[in-house]
Amino acid sequence: MTNVYIEGIGMTKFGKFAEKSMKQLLLEASIEALEDAGNPKVDAVFVGNFMGGSLSNQEILGAIAANELGLGRVSAAKVEGACASGGIALRQGIMGILSGEFDTVLVAGVEKMKHASTADVTQAINAAMDTDSNEKHAGLTFPGFFGVLANRYFYETEATKEHLAMIALKNREHAMRNPLAQFQKPASIEEIMEARIITSPLGLFDCSPTTDGAAAVVITRKKTAVHIRSSAQSSGPTQMQEADDLLSLPAVQESGRLAYERAGAAPEDIDVVEIHDCFTMTEMLAIEELGFFKKREGWLAVAQGRTKAGGDKPVNTSGGLLSRGHPIGATGIAQIYHLVRQLRGNAPNQVEGARLALAQNLGGTGSYSAVHILERV
Amino acid sequence: MQIQQCAQCGFSSIIKKYRCPQCSGRQFEERKISSKGIVHSYTVIHIAPAEFAHLAPYTVALIQLDDVNLKLTARMASETAIGDAAELVRIEDGAFIYEKC
Repeated sequence: MTNVYIEGIGMTKFGKFAEKSMKQLLLEASIEALEDAGNPKVDAVFVGNFMGGSLSNQEILGAIAANELGLGRVSAAKVEGACASGGIALRQGIMGILSGEFDTVLVAGVEKMKHASTADVTQAINAAMDTDSNEKHAGLTFPGFFGVLANRYFYETEATKEHLAMIALKNREHAMRNPLAQFQKPASIEEIMEARIITSPLGLFDCSPTTDGAAAVVITRKKTAVHIRSSAQSSGPTQMQEADDLLSLPAVQESGRLAYERAGAAPEDIDVVEIHDCFTMTEMLAIEELGFFKKREGWLAVAQGRTKAGGDKPVNTSGGLLSRGHPIGATGIAQIYHLVRQLRGNAPNQVEGARLALAQNLGGTGSYSAVHILERV
Repeated sequence: MQIQQCAQCGFSSIIKKYRCPQCSGRQFEERKISSKGIVHSYTVIHIAPAEFAHLAPYTVALIQLDDVNLKLTARMASETAIGDAAELVRIEDGAFIYEKC
C-alpha cells in the first residue's frame, strides 16, 4: 500500500485541435487539475510524452510546465515509456512521494498527433519497437504485432473477428456518453466488421486513433477521498519472436500480480477497470492477463457482455483508447482521470458504488506495463 | 541459416544477445540450422510506415523453426496460413524472406 492520494484531476477533450499547441493542451489540463486540488504548493512535475520530439520537435516539457504554471524552481522531467509514458510518469511521482523527497506532485500527460500524416505517425510509433532487429527489417508494424496475435487467438480458440468487433462496439457505446471522448458517433457491428483492413484481421475500428489531448493529476501524501492503493510496473519482450507464448503479455500479467499483492486485493475485488485497448485484441488479452477471466476465455466474457458498463466487470467505461482516443503520452493519466470520477461517483457510465478501480497502461508491443489500483476512502 | 548460441549454457536466439538472459554469459557462437519451419501466425499489413509503403500490402509471419525451439519473424514472399511449412528464400535488407514449401 502507498501513502499517496489523488487531490485533483484535469483533462482536455480528446480529438483534433489544429489551433492548439502541445504546450497549450498540457497547460490547460494541468491548470484544471491544480484548481481541482485547490492550488496546492507543488514540489515536482512529471510529464508523460512520447512523440513531442519526433512530431513537434518539442522536448523539455517538464520545465515548460513548471515555468508556465509558475511552480518555481521545482524538480521536473518528461517521462518516456512509449504508450505507457503517462502511467510510468504517475509511478515516478508516487515514488517521489514514497521516498520522502516530495509532498505534492503534478503528473501530466500530453500528445499532439493529428497534424502529422498517417505514414509519419506509423513511422514514429515504430520507435516503440526494437528497430535494430530483423523483425523491424521484415516490415512488422506496431498494429501488425497485434494482427499476428489476433490470427493466432482465432486459431487456438473459437473466437472470431466478431468478438473483436464486440469490444470495439462496447467501447464506442461507452464513449458516446463521455463528452470528453474523441468518437461519439454511433457504430454498428456490421460497420465495424466491414471497415477497411489495417493489418489483417484488424480493421479500422480495431485500432485506436491518432489524437490530440492532455490529462493531469495532482498527487499528495495528504489524505483525500481517493487513495492510490498500489503502483506496479514490469517489462516484457521487445520483440515478437522472443515471446514464449504469443498469446500472453507477460509484463501485463506481472505488473497486475504485483499491484494486487501490494494492494491486498484480488481480481474479483475490482469494481471498474480502465485497460490499455490500443487494439481490440489488446483488451482481449489484458482481461485474461489481469485475471478477470481465464486464459483463452476472454472472448466468452466479451460475448456475454460481462465487460460492458452494466456487466459484472466493467472495462473501459470511458470509451477506452479505441473511442475516448489515444493521445499517447496522455493515455495513462486519462485512465486515472476517469477512474477518479468513477470513485467520486460522477463519471460517464457510472458504476454504482464503485470502491476499487484498476488502471493498466501498456507501452510498446508488451514492453512496458504499469498498473495502479485506486480506492475510494 | 545461422542462429546465435550461448557458448556457456546453449541458450539460442535469432540475433546476437549482448548478455545471455539465462546465464549472463557474453560469448555467443553461430550455429547453422535448417531455415525450415511452420507458420505460427501472420498478418497482412495494408497500412505501412513510410519506408515500407511501396511493399504494401505485404505479409509478415512468425515462423516456428523445426530444428530448434525458436521463433523467427519473417516477411512472406507468398500468401500464407497458420500451419504452412515455409523456408528461407533470401535475406534482403536485413529481413528474412520466407516462402511456402
